[in-house]
Amino acid sequence: MSEVQRRKYSQEERSTIFDGEFMPHIDSMYNFAFRLTFDEDDAKDLVQDTYMKAFRFINSFEQGTNAKAWLFRILKNSFINDYRKKSKKPATVDYQEVETFYNSDDVDYQSTSDLRAESVRDMLGDEISNALNGLAVDFRTVIILADLEGFTYEEMAKILDIPIGTVRSRLHRARNLLKDTLKGYAQSMGYGRNEEED
Amino acid sequence: MPNRWDTAGTKRRIKRQAMENNDASSPERKLQCSDVSKCFQLLERILDGELVEGGPQLLQEKLDKCQPCFAHFHLEQAIREVIKTKCTKQPLPDKLAESIRQMIQDAR
Ligand SMILES: [Zn+2]
Repeated sequence: MSEVQRRKYSQEERSTIFDGEFMPHIDSMYNFAFRLTFDEDDAKDLVQDTYMKAFRFINSFEQGTNAKAWLFRILKNSFINDYRKKSKKPATVDYQEVETFYNSDDVDYQSTSDLRAESVRDMLGDEISNALNGLAVDFRTVIILADLEGFTYEEMAKILDIPIGTVRSRLHRARNLLKDTLKGYAQSMGYGRNEEED
Repeated sequence: MPNRWDTAGTKRRIKRQAMENNDASSPERKLQCSDVSKCFQLLERILDGELVEGGPQLLQEKLDKCQPCFAHFHLEQAIREVIKTKCTKQPLPDKLAESIRQMIQDAR
């Protein structure tokens, strides 16, 4: 029952929570918003909307709990509801479709098995960023949450409203797709067969 | 977040183990993995800091005895590392924090 129970924070408490627990995450929030929208103004709007909603629904936030995950969940929902449709990017492929399409793990393993850790470490930040940005939004999202923001599978499940098993498999496929792209970069950079000998 | 410490501890342990096993190929390792799909997903969960039963021992065994697992582990580790350290962070626009605080003021 405790979850349904409504708290009522005083004005002072609300300010404390907002400034002390919500605002410190603004950099991560903006970074996430930008990687979802690829547009500075859209990202700004998205972050503003998220903070407005966070303020409006502050009574459903329990002080001292995971504010970052709570905020990220609001941001992600705002993005799906308000921005995804009018996004300037062409429509992205649907989850279901992509997940079915890339269901053959063994094929993925074979195709990336000649990508080497050393070549990946030699890549530039722009190349890594571009590879990440090239992923469909749902795959991009799980990598951002896991690797850039350090969320656990359990936190990601809550942020994305999906079961942990789905988090795991989506992340796994996202990384396989990313490796495909990186492999292409590695080849064009000339990490050919000769260098792989040593 | 109660399991933060465990996660950090696991990551440190993994790093140490990986460093101790850092020669690229070893005659001790078999060249075929018995169950690529299962092994790799397990390695990925360990790398993501999830608690896996018997994780450290399992990882040690894979790194010592299986070349595909060894290579996959190091590749996956490199990918996580470059995403974390090289992905450009989008700088926060001036005044965004300020305008949010103002909006909240006005909404009160
Ligand atoms: Zn193996």
